[in-house]
Amino acid sequence: MREPPYRTELKPYGRALVAAARHRGEILCLSGDLTRQTEVDLFQAEFPDRFINGGMAEANMMGMAGALARCGYLPFVHTFGVFATRRPFDQIANAIAYPNLPVRIIGFMPGVSTPGGPSHQAIDDVALMRALPNMTVVDVADAVETRQVVSAVADVPGPVYVRLKRGEIPVIFGDDHVLRLGRAEVVLAGTDVALFASGMMLAAALAASRVLGEHGVSVSVVNVPVVKPLDSATVLAAAAAAARLVVTAENHSVIGGLGSAVAETIAEAGLGRPLRRIGLRDTFAEGSLDAPFLFERYGLSTGAIVETIWSALSRAGPAPPAPVTATRSGEYSPV
Amino acid sequence: MAAMPATLRVSDTGAAWAVSDPRELALRIRLRAVRMVAPAGSGYLGQALSSAEQVAAVFASARPGVDRIVCSPGHYIIGPFAAAAELGLIDLSGYGQNDSAFEAIGTERSPVVDYTCGSLGQGLSAALGFALADRFRGRDARVFTMVSDGELEEGQVWEAALFAAHHRLDRLVVLLDANNSQVDGPVDSITTLEPIAAKWAAFGWDVWDLDGHDVSALSVALAAAPMRAGQPSVLVCRTSTRHGLDCLPPGADGHFIKLTPELAFAAERELTGKLEALRA
Repeated sequence: MREPPYRTELKPYGRALVAAARHRGEILCLSGDLTRQTEVDLFQAEFPDRFINGGMAEANMMGMAGALARCGYLPFVHTFGVFATRRPFDQIANAIAYPNLPVRIIGFMPGVSTPGGPSHQAIDDVALMRALPNMTVVDVADAVETRQVVSAVADVPGPVYVRLKRGEIPVIFGDDHVLRLGRAEVVLAGTDVALFASGMMLAAALAASRVLGEHGVSVSVVNVPVVKPLDSATVLAAAAAAARLVVTAENHSVIGGLGSAVAETIAEAGLGRPLRRIGLRDTFAEGSLDAPFLFERYGLSTGAIVETIWSALSRAGPAPPAPVTATRSGEYSPV
Repeated sequence: MAAMPATLRVSDTGAAWAVSDPRELALRIRLRAVRMVAPAGSGYLGQALSSAEQVAAVFASARPGVDRIVCSPGHYIIGPFAAAAELGLIDLSGYGQNDSAFEAIGTERSPVVDYTCGSLGQGLSAALGFALADRFRGRDARVFTMVSDGELEEGQVWEAALFAAHHRLDRLVVLLDANNSQVDGPVDSITTLEPIAAKWAAFGWDVWDLDGHDVSALSVALAAAPMRAGQPSVLVCRTSTRHGLDCLPPGADGHFIKLTPELAFAAERELTGKLEALRA
């Protein structure tokens, strides 16, 4: 595990897709008029004959991808997460999920990581995709996981939804880190609180854990790259090991995503723990120039995690402040 | 001939059938559809009546084990089921009953066709996917795609129409059943679709506007497909949900016809009589 500020990489996904396509001729690449933004300009340049630009027509693109998968191809479909899930939901349900076809839907720009306003913010994509039978839902945390996600999902027999950060991707894990689709992973051990994080919230969860540890609260951090199917064994073990509190953190609505998945799992197991969910609190996010502003305003910051845990544990006095990490251009630190 | 396994498609290797007279097959589709709907007392008989000649012409034109059939509106699956049963390809027993693979609205378990979907307007996109896959593989297959006029209200159909013309998918043939029928009534009382043929032409398709109950004209058109190199083609088939069954009352709901035992009896008598007359 590295320390912030994290160095960043450009196009780890795009390079991984090209590498996989070099030895797997069945991989096709579909883009919904967002080719550079979804890093598949690299694929288009190397495999123009296996690249299909569906244009701004997501419903048709999902229908085509389903039929291509029926014919033995492995279609990777690319657009922003919001357009990949809301617009063509019925098409994904009927043409991909119900027939359980190996289409990989890659949705970039998760949650409030975009300044594009509510129309561009995928705040319910995990909930939507999680509700579909047969669908696997992946939300990776950093460039090391992103580099591995193509090969990790390639052989899943059914459909997969992958949400990926756009642009500069932080390198949080060491190079020896292995993304395993079936596994959530306890990346920091603690005894008071179990903090489950997915995707972009892992960095903030790690920072919050450190601050709280310095103030006498022991927080385990569990990285959950696969929200469905959830690694319930690891979730239950980590939640049971936390004496006082379970917290989830996701760059998504608190309804239907990681927080809901963890809540369902521990409740069905009869494991009684107070629960707090960090995420968008059933709201659209307006007023953005940049993502850090939105993460701060809508309670997705390191400070928000620290304050939530501090107050849930009824600790005396104000919560300790979140660290401010000097971050240069090309580096990344959580808000 | 042995019946197909329930999952086999007409495009699968090993599929085999022959149509000697598409006109007779259309009549048998109608009769079979009446027998399929009668036990439940209601069903998608109107779709079978308006598309019987199109289905017969497709089965007469499609090359077994090569060409594909997409039935975009799942409510029309009764037609391909009836044709396949008449051609000895499937055993339809249990149709429409609980736990049967043959549901009234097509599902993933529906055999015979390459694709069908009860959520309307999606089939043409699947047909594009098949046409692209066949092009990638250098496979010489045509994709016969049944689409209904009501489906033209769905935007996805036009997304697909644009894509097909831009990518010059000339192995694609749409049979557009223009029966002017949807759930709430005549299509033209709800949404003006005309000029249908001009719309498809403007989207870059080769358009044939014809009498959808003229099985000879349909067969000629399908035999010629692909009709123009570099262009997908559409047959705008002008039809009626009551065609070929004179005993239907004037007010019969074309989308979901009620078939009382008395009406089923009359329909059986009328259609068997027509079949005997044709064979005589």
